[in-house]
Amino acid sequence: MRPTLVVAILLMTAAVSAQGRATQAPVSTARADAPIDLTGQWVAIISEDWRWRMITPPKGDIVSIPLSLQGQQTAEAWDPGKDEAAGEQCKAYGAPGLMRGPIRMRISWQDDNTLKLETDYGIQTRLLRFGTATSAGPRSWQGITSAQWIVRGGGGRGAPRFGSLKTITDNLRPGYLRKNGVPYSERTRFTEHWDVHSLPNGDKYLVNTNIVEDPVYLQAPFQTAIHYKLERDTSKWDPTPCDARF
Amino acid sequence: MRRTILTTTVCSLLWLMSTPAFAQVELGGTYAIRMYEDYIERGPGSFLGDFTGMPMSEEGRAKALRYSSSLPSMIERQCLAQSPWVGLYRPLAIRIWSEVDESGRVVAWVMGGDYLRDTVRIWMDGRPHPSANAWHSPSGFTTGHWEGDTLVARTTHVKTAWIRRGVGIPGSDQSTFTVFITRRENLLTIMTVQEDPIYLTEPHVVSRVWEFDPRASQGPLRDTCNVGVEIPSLEDTGEVAHYLPGQNPEEDYMVRTYNIPKEAAMGFAHTLYPEYRKTLRSIYTPPASCGRYCCGWIERQGLPGAAPGLTCNDGNLPAELRKAITGNGR
Repeated sequence: MRPTLVVAILLMTAAVSAQGRATQAPVSTARADAPIDLTGQWVAIISEDWRWRMITPPKGDIVSIPLSLQGQQTAEAWDPGKDEAAGEQCKAYGAPGLMRGPIRMRISWQDDNTLKLETDYGIQTRLLRFGTATSAGPRSWQGITSAQWIVRGGGGRGAPRFGSLKTITDNLRPGYLRKNGVPYSERTRFTEHWDVHSLPNGDKYLVNTNIVEDPVYLQAPFQTAIHYKLERDTSKWDPTPCDARF
Repeated sequence: MRRTILTTTVCSLLWLMSTPAFAQVELGGTYAIRMYEDYIERGPGSFLGDFTGMPMSEEGRAKALRYSSSLPSMIERQCLAQSPWVGLYRPLAIRIWSEVDESGRVVAWVMGGDYLRDTVRIWMDGRPHPSANAWHSPSGFTTGHWEGDTLVARTTHVKTAWIRRGVGIPGSDQSTFTVFITRRENLLTIMTVQEDPIYLTEPHVVSRVWEFDPRASQGPLRDTCNVGVEIPSLEDTGEVAHYLPGQNPEEDYMVRTYNIPKEAAMGFAHTLYPEYRKTLRSIYTPPASCGRYCCGWIERQGLPGAAPGLTCNDGNLPAELRKAITGNGR
């Protein structure tokens, strides 16, 4: 065997070896490098926590959320009338609360390095930005989201390519994790892992595993997984403004 | 000779450098429950008559409404709670370990750890699912493969069971499960998609999170269902605890207690989607206050009091039990 042949084989082997490791290769654009397709219209399936997600539970119902004492006291002081008067009826529509809501969301590429997430529930828009950091600006319901592909596989010619999206959102305006005033503060960091899973029949599900960290109102990270289904028929999109009560 | 040595060396390097493609993600370990979803069902147990979030068929609904809390005490039915993925509704940790062959290759991933759940063995060696008539245990037969960092599993050969906790929602022996298991650093996400042509009208989807914790409580570990006489007066009488159609006193519990429309409480699929809020908007009024299990996380996770100062309304928790849990009688 000639030495050049050995070197060639070793190089090919190195490519195969990369399949099982995380690769964050330099990318031309986020869109070109996307290992999964998040675009389309997704509907939340409210098969968990129905009573806390589909409707507004009574004041003081803070079950299952790891609130601090300060968080509990704030939740028990919830007054939707006061929110309305202050023009803050969107407090339950900030990113950490919105994703658990009864939403339809449309995800599309705004440009080659920005995914745009729109919801009909509360008519909200969040931008998931890849690459260079964005200046913070004023706090908002959807905050500033930085995005990063986590790529797996694809190391060899024809090798299947997998991956997920990791996003981190901060610069949030204080809001609610639950419609009945369960609070999160402006110090909240919202981390999400986005996976797309396919069934043999072609159905596609998006799973958002997320962590809400808030040193003010939570005594532990609030970790949940929320699932959505891809809709081919987009006719049920129904933009509805924020509502502080229902 | 020289050529043989070179060839052997190259082949060895090829094998060694390709190993990560087979190794995938190490799932082994103990994962603590993060009961931040469906707390009441996973903690104290669901309210009878609460089928919210379920896409049930008429047959499924009728069977669930015949359920009585005495039913799972009957010897013949004590193992019906052991459907393979019911752990997503249980309150304890899970443990995952691998079974390897003599070369160290993973033949199966095994999940266990909760005393009410049968062990689930996910075969990774490419074996086919057996004949529909083959003998099988309540844990069914599961095969898996990797898609990136996600272990995709498919379960068949299950038995008739209760698929959720404490309310009698049934699953038939024709159910199949597609399961996606993703470990990401210390977090483990499991999503199950259950299809059941008998008791469901569409796939039932659940997604949960656990966190790696070698000290997490798994409860008393058993990999089989052990039965015993729980209600002596029921044994050898021929009686089967049940409610006749239309006579379940809890059928309207969610309507009475939470002002939820009956069709939502009874698990109709269309109530799972955002457009159902149009119906709800005109008829739903929140209860004046939270009456029961309002702050369960704190009591469960707070032992012996990780949340000092909190005095949530826990409804009708008996004073003695509250005192035992929290260390005070408030």
